[in-house]
Amino acid sequence: MSDTATKTKRSVRESMGPFGPVGKIVDELDERFGVAKGGRIFLDKIFPDHWSFMLGEIALYSFVVLLATGVFLTLFFVPSTNQIIYHGSYAPLRGQRVSEAYASTVNISFSVRGGMLIRQMHHWAADIFTGSIIVHMARIFFTGAFRKPRELNWTIGILMLILAIFEGFIGYSLPDDLISGTGLRIGYSIAESIPFIGSYMVSFLWGGTFPGNIIIPRFFIIHVLIIPLVLLGLISVHLILLVRQKHTQFAGEGRTEHNVVGSPMFPTFMAKTTGFLFMVAAASALLGAFAQINPIWQFGSYDPSKISYAVQPDWYMGWLDGALRIMPSWEFAGVGHTVPLEVFLPAVVFPGLIFTICFIWPAFERRFTGDNELHNLLDRPRDRPKRTAAGAAMLALLFTLFAASSTDVMANFFHVSLNATLWFFRIAVIVVPIIAGLVTYQLCREMQGVHGIGKRKRSVIVRRSAAGEYSTVPAAPRADDERTELDPEPVPARIDIEPLGNGGDREPQSSPTGVRQVTR
Amino acid sequence: MPVAALSDPHMSDAARHPDRVEKLIAIVFVFALVMFGLAGAAYWQNWNAWTFGGALGAGMFAIGFGLTAWGKYLMPQGPFVEDRHALEGTKEERDSLAAALVERSTVVVKRRKMLGYLFAGGAAVFALVAAFPLIRSLGPLPKNEFETTDWRAGTVLVDSNGRPIRKDTLVPGGIMTVYPRNQLRVQDGQVYFTDDGLATDQTVLIRLPGGAFTTMPGRENWTPDGYVAYSKLCTHLGCPVGLYETELEMLVCPCHQSMFNVRNGAVPQFGPAPRPLPQLALGYNDQGYLIATAPYDQPVGPGFFERTT
Amino acid sequence: MRGVRAPQKRTFRTQVLLPAGLLGVAAMASLAVFFPGTLAGASGHADASHVSTNPRSVLKACGPLNTKGVSPTPNSGNPFTSTNLICHDGHLVSYGNASITYANPPRTFIDAGRELFAQNCSSCHGNEANGVGPEGEATIGPNLQGVGAATVDFWVSSGRMPAADVKAVEAERRTARLTPTQALEIAAWVNSLYPAVPAVPYPHLGGANQSVGADLFSLNCAACHTITGSGDALAYGTNAPTLENRSITAQQVVEAIRTGPANMPRFSGNLSDAQVRDIVSYVTGRVQHPTNPGGFSLGGVGPVAEGFVALLIGVGGLALICFWIGERS
Repeated sequence: MSDTATKTKRSVRESMGPFGPVGKIVDELDERFGVAKGGRIFLDKIFPDHWSFMLGEIALYSFVVLLATGVFLTLFFVPSTNQIIYHGSYAPLRGQRVSEAYASTVNISFSVRGGMLIRQMHHWAADIFTGSIIVHMARIFFTGAFRKPRELNWTIGILMLILAIFEGFIGYSLPDDLISGTGLRIGYSIAESIPFIGSYMVSFLWGGTFPGNIIIPRFFIIHVLIIPLVLLGLISVHLILLVRQKHTQFAGEGRTEHNVVGSPMFPTFMAKTTGFLFMVAAASALLGAFAQINPIWQFGSYDPSKISYAVQPDWYMGWLDGALRIMPSWEFAGVGHTVPLEVFLPAVVFPGLIFTICFIWPAFERRFTGDNELHNLLDRPRDRPKRTAAGAAMLALLFTLFAASSTDVMANFFHVSLNATLWFFRIAVIVVPIIAGLVTYQLCREMQGVHGIGKRKRSVIVRRSAAGEYSTVPAAPRADDERTELDPEPVPARIDIEPLGNGGDREPQSSPTGVRQVTR
Repeated sequence: MPVAALSDPHMSDAARHPDRVEKLIAIVFVFALVMFGLAGAAYWQNWNAWTFGGALGAGMFAIGFGLTAWGKYLMPQGPFVEDRHALEGTKEERDSLAAALVERSTVVVKRRKMLGYLFAGGAAVFALVAAFPLIRSLGPLPKNEFETTDWRAGTVLVDSNGRPIRKDTLVPGGIMTVYPRNQLRVQDGQVYFTDDGLATDQTVLIRLPGGAFTTMPGRENWTPDGYVAYSKLCTHLGCPVGLYETELEMLVCPCHQSMFNVRNGAVPQFGPAPRPLPQLALGYNDQGYLIATAPYDQPVGPGFFERTT
Repeated sequence: MRGVRAPQKRTFRTQVLLPAGLLGVAAMASLAVFFPGTLAGASGHADASHVSTNPRSVLKACGPLNTKGVSPTPNSGNPFTSTNLICHDGHLVSYGNASITYANPPRTFIDAGRELFAQNCSSCHGNEANGVGPEGEATIGPNLQGVGAATVDFWVSSGRMPAADVKAVEAERRTARLTPTQALEIAAWVNSLYPAVPAVPYPHLGGANQSVGADLFSLNCAACHTITGSGDALAYGTNAPTLENRSITAQQVVEAIRTGPANMPRFSGNLSDAQVRDIVSYVTGRVQHPTNPGGFSLGGVGPVAEGFVALLIGVGGLALICFWIGERS
């Protein structure tokens, strides 16, 4: 007969202590890893709630989608330019000579169940990834979040943008179809145009002449291993810095340079961000299910002597394509050498210049404004009209170049001559950024001067006297024009709750500090 | 104790009447469940492609929406505050770090500077040598592959099916892509061309009306019976210039719309291309086939640093 | 005295066989004229009595025919090399093979064609379709003599002619003003002035290989019409029209390939009739009826449209969700 006490549910529960099984787990983890102190601090971390702070999360979560869908694709893709005869399920290709890479991609699209969805999700997520990086970067720029102490994070972000662009280009070149192969030929020629090292670069990277047999396998390993690893490392440093330095916030009531005001990490931020992860994945899935993207089976396998009209690169390379189209045909040829300026300038020097400006901007702004202080509060874009105008001009320039990459489509759509369209863009690329910058500068100055801009105005009642004179009387305030705002306070040990009552009372339970009335 | 009503002002307004919100979120979660089930069924039953993706996407959206709404409406919003402890340490801490770095590196040994330089020199040379296999082993040194093609005097022109070209193959206004016959291969009954044949040797053959003509001085007898041949590689970025407009007598590159006048030696009229397309001198052999009577007189394709004019 | 001829002997040969034979020949000839396909078409074998082993000698007997510059490459779309050849009364009726039959419109169309031409075309092309006006001046429209029946049929049946705007850089496709038969009638008349090839093609798409067609399309056609056949603007206001328009018939595709209208090149000896048939099958099949298994095709204009959708709907939609989740300051 054993003498162990009978284990009832209650006794088991009571033996676990006041926090139940969770407390027991915390005890076990703390004994091994010492998570208790840091854990509480971590759960209490505050995240400012402004909606524009979530744009970086779009990029982060679409990267997660890319990783997940990418792993699936690597299980089927064959990175080889070996030419085979296609015998798969897509009839118009049967009997044609195609590369194994191309055939395996068509196979994923048609013969692997779910393959078309995963492949399209992957491509849509890549477009969303680069788009959200740019939108996030624009938010950082216009609010001045790149200033001390966050210059390194800005630099890492630009590096990640460059890697994301290359990663996307390499990724859609892997299927070795007619369109992306043409893009590779153009990339080869751009690299070839670099003075002194160009021919060596292309001969080394392509393992000889174009197209060769090694570029697709090399691109494959760069795309699935090298760049994703570097990106993962950079994202980790980016996030660690963010946690260490804490997020910036807009100025407002209770917000200073020395605090962070917002909602706590657990449970609020975790719930919202995990929900957002699902929604970003859902966006990729819905686009991948209903919108066709990169239908390579229509294009055929790459043949260097074939070409299609009306081809552009994916949108994040469009600005380079536009620059290449509008550049005049200047080429320097002399002293026994040739420097193809019509390629080298728009495709190498120009993007180098743009990214250099991006890299040095924090230092440049420090020098220009003489401001060496730490900044944890963000600017409203209108409060820095010169910076905002410069950013707007840059975005206008890039957008005009992107539009210039579809001169033929525009000429066709608007029924104007192709030549005239090209000349239009040659002029627009100079005029549009200047106008955009000036207009933005003016807008910022005007918005600065107007008090209460963006807030809803109080309505007025117009009265007419018997003599015919008009007068106005402010109307009564609307229901939500006056509301209660709380002053911020540390996350309490617990938020006391009231049992279900009729409507509950408005007495603040766990905020001993003041309550303010706010009027619109 | 279980949560009942949440009237704390740190909760959002919706939490005052949690039943409504909770019911809505519950419905959304149930919808997500149903959608995931539908997606699973669509996969196993192999329904329409978009049913699987659409259901999966709708389900993920719903579950994400529900979780986010839970966080936004039913969890404490704040405003809570956290202090930013100054990142920087005290002056004493900084000084002690700097002191450790500076003083501990001071070792009382007579030749420490030289040791330091020797180590640095060794490491630098190592870095340089380690980079050699990473870069140099990737591929061969560029030789003259940029300079020459496989066209020689007497090379027969063939089309993509390997057929040679006769005088009457094209009518005036016709265009075709031709390759050198020496790059033709046959495998499993299929005709194909080598990489070089496709990539660098590709040539457009156009027949202009009016018989033989001269494109440029010094190129007499290059265009028998109105046939003229140019390298198909655009001199801008190497795209195949396959777009020909017969009435304009203009070759247009589809990539960036450089336009080449075919009658005067493919000189660029518009667009970013800097140089005319190299022309291939044509003639007939004794079988009546079109041949090249000489190789290209200049490197084909885009410009590169070693290209002499 | 002047000779009086002896009366013809009435025999079975003269009274029965001869008339029956003439009737028979007339019947065959009218069959050939009105239904060229029955003799030279689907079965691929023509009536032995109308196929010559020496096409050139048959063509010589066909009377004057403009075959200047026409390629003799086998089955390239010209009567020298076609396996089936029908000639009647010194006029080329039809030629071709199992892939495509080319036939001139019936000679009975010529009178109606003359009328139609005078009403619709002579003001720009001259009364004799030679680009010369009544006072000997050059007309706006070009000389049409020697273009062949297929050319005229293409321009009229696709609605390009009569021209909507004579000053336009290129005549665009539009709803045809004249019926297909009227187009053939005009073609018959113009061809009668100066007979030429190619004749009006009648492709036989059964047995075509769409895969070969796709391959040839990407080498020969995609450079102007794009790989999806959506068409685009070319230099100096010209354009390559879209091929996705389902009102484009297989016959019109062959006509365009063989006659090279406007700025389009003329594909003769470099594409055999079988190859042209394969291209036509691909165009009227996959290009005009795309399957788009991935979902909405977004216009088929490629990455620009995809980029807009990704940015506006993808990033934009998600940004709207951020707007809902977060606070506004």
